[in-house]
Amino acid sequence: MAEDRRVFRERQFKQYKSDVKKRGKPFYPYVMLHDSIMSLMVVGVIVALATIWKWTTPGDHTGIVMHDGVASTEGTSGWLGKLNDDPADPGTISFTPRPDWYFYFLFYLLRIFKWPESVILGTIGIPTICVLLLIAIPFLDTRAERRPLHRPVAMVTGVLVIFSMGMMTYRGATAKESLGSELLGKVPVWAQKEGFATNPKAVAGAKLFAVAGCMNCHVYLGSGASNLGAPELTTEGAQHRGILFQVEHLKCPSCVTKGSPMPAFASQGQANLTLLAEFLEASQGPK
Amino acid sequence: MDPRRKTPHVPGPSLWPVGFAIGVAVALLGLVVRWQIIALGIVISLVFGILWIRDAAGRRGITETVEVESEYGPGHPGPTIPPPSTREKYPRSVFLELSTLGVGGVIGGLVTLPALGFMIGPAFLKQGVKDHDLGPVENFPQDSFVVATYMSDPAQGEVSRRTAFVRYNGLLGSQPSFTIISNHCVHLGCPVQPNGPVYDKQSKTFGDVTLIPAKPSGFGCPCHGGQYDSEGNRVAGPPVRALDRYSFSIRNGHLFVGAPYSVAKVEGVGSAAKIHKSAYSYPGEQADGVESWLYPIQPPN
Amino acid sequence: MSNQRSKYEHLMYPVDWLEERSGLVGGIKYFLFRKVPGDVNWFQTLGAATLTAFLVQATTGVMLAMYYKPDAKSAYPSIEHITNDLFAGWLVRGMHRWGASVFIILMFMHMGRVFLFGAYKYPRELTWIVGVILVALGLAEGFTGYLLPWDQTAYWATTVGININGTAPFLGPFIAQFLQGGEFINADTLSRFYAIHMLLLPAMIAGLIGLHLYLVIRLGVTSPPWSKEAAGGSNDSEPGADEETHG
Repeated sequence: MAEDRRVFRERQFKQYKSDVKKRGKPFYPYVMLHDSIMSLMVVGVIVALATIWKWTTPGDHTGIVMHDGVASTEGTSGWLGKLNDDPADPGTISFTPRPDWYFYFLFYLLRIFKWPESVILGTIGIPTICVLLLIAIPFLDTRAERRPLHRPVAMVTGVLVIFSMGMMTYRGATAKESLGSELLGKVPVWAQKEGFATNPKAVAGAKLFAVAGCMNCHVYLGSGASNLGAPELTTEGAQHRGILFQVEHLKCPSCVTKGSPMPAFASQGQANLTLLAEFLEASQGPK
Repeated sequence: MDPRRKTPHVPGPSLWPVGFAIGVAVALLGLVVRWQIIALGIVISLVFGILWIRDAAGRRGITETVEVESEYGPGHPGPTIPPPSTREKYPRSVFLELSTLGVGGVIGGLVTLPALGFMIGPAFLKQGVKDHDLGPVENFPQDSFVVATYMSDPAQGEVSRRTAFVRYNGLLGSQPSFTIISNHCVHLGCPVQPNGPVYDKQSKTFGDVTLIPAKPSGFGCPCHGGQYDSEGNRVAGPPVRALDRYSFSIRNGHLFVGAPYSVAKVEGVGSAAKIHKSAYSYPGEQADGVESWLYPIQPPN
Repeated sequence: MSNQRSKYEHLMYPVDWLEERSGLVGGIKYFLFRKVPGDVNWFQTLGAATLTAFLVQATTGVMLAMYYKPDAKSAYPSIEHITNDLFAGWLVRGMHRWGASVFIILMFMHMGRVFLFGAYKYPRELTWIVGVILVALGLAEGFTGYLLPWDQTAYWATTVGININGTAPFLGPFIAQFLQGGEFINADTLSRFYAIHMLLLPAMIAGLIGLHLYLVIRLGVTSPPWSKEAAGGSNDSEPGADEETHG
């Protein structure tokens, strides 16, 4: 049986050789013309990308702006992104690292495995298995059949792989972490939408809420990370739990709600916690 | 065996090369662990090497005899003149073949081994962190975090910049107690951010050190969403242990930050905390539990 | 015709000289005039397109190396100098920067085409394996090159990449330490990545592309599988074709 197949495919390859000899056409000039046109398009696209990248950079197209005499790259993103980011700073506490776009699928894979025990699956396990499977394809699929419609399993697998890679790249590209510096800019919008703009304590609380890492777990008016499954706080005030409850809860969440995984915020001090509570109570949903 | 075959009988595989390779591997391992293991590796590889050579030489002799005998095959009248009673055990061609291989091996070894050592060695030798002065202890208010950035090796410049979250816990006995947490996420090494206000405008700078007061209630990682509490324990997300810490010493009333170490978890807070220490290891490597067995040996540092 | 030939014959002397001594002309002729199936289509130009992208990378990379300084203190300024001060520096750097993306997209598209056509099947298994290794090496080029501008994205993406290697069981910590040339990313890490990026990996890629092309020429390219006149005929008579539905 296996022997039959080997004989068949050897005969088929001989047939291929003789078919090509009899009915084939020379590589040059027919195929080479197509190859050359395609290559020209490739070079054209590369030059075009380089040009767009440089000349859509705002300002003087250098990717450098001066803020108070300090060189910075802030706001120099053209259509294809910045020319350079700021110089490497191994000591930063405010930078959000992202890989180049073609590693977004790997980046997102790492975000999927958000349990310590499974980290090694995302870093080494799954990528290694995928590469080994990729190498093994010719040995897993040993039939001579090449017509796509006669290879349903291969085609479905291929489509699923392309779809999931595309999906993961998209999710990786749009993955957001809630960083204080970015969220701070949203406070006036929140104040206006939720109608607490006239309450200075709530506004101060909102600023604290933005920078204190609350939104690493909680969602507020569409911002923040829902990855870890903490409740959304947009309409927290509508439950009228009161300032006192909120302060006590912030000091020690698991004392107030048994089994709550939320960390304690007691180190913020009574004054800051009261401001946070004012903000939460003022958040009664968008008006 | 088919008697008409002209090709010599190929000897079966020998286990000696495997032992030899294990010896070399042990010696290489010793390079990064300790010298006694190098010696052990050399002894193993020498013993197996000698066995291998003896074995190979013995087989060579047998092979030659087989080849000579099978040249004529059974039933062949054979040479009319009887063969000389003392046959060459090692014919000239075999000698040339072996010496070519040997000379080639020596050349290859002379060129590649030092080059490989040069490529790999410096990454593992003479590692270590010098203590760095973070200024007088009075710079650090009790029970409050200060974000300290400094260059661990000023000669290397900005590339050696480190950030640590330093908290003075008051006196423990007669000695000041500090909690010094690294800013590198133990998931995959991204820079963690303090969850709370950072008072940039109150920063102090001297030499290559900058101290910025902050009020974090924990730390968050901007890459894959790891969250830590104010002792560096994992709260949520993928981090596999608690945040790394730096060792410290007090000299002449100044705080010196030293080498980092890894922490499985911290029980309690501040100066009363019980820290489950382990050797400094790379991010993503468990410091306790079953999965820590995957990383039995850490490079020397 | 013969007159023309004799009239221009002296033009052929260098070619004849070369052919007599090396046989190279014959080899090139074989490459150019070898027969390919009559029904090859546009999808099959993706391999040549990938090769072009690699050549763009190689050329622009050599030029960038003339101005780039692989040193932690001067890498960033030298990149700014290339982009903003040197004549056409932005173009060469931009082509290298975006050529990398195009190269990687084309590698994946080419791989997808080969998969769709079933062109990895007997006797072209080795061509496929070499191709998969080329994809891995291409991604490694992308990873090592990403560090060279020495900006924030570069530094931290590399940190994560190195630590991903560090989580490999048993040897991981040693691989990570080898990659960064020390216990932490240090002044030697950048030049190490530079050497890997522009000497080690390109040499391996060029060699494997040579092997890949040799295999393609030796085994020939496939007809599109749906072609009525596919070279090699149909598979309907394949033994066991009805029994198995997989593949």
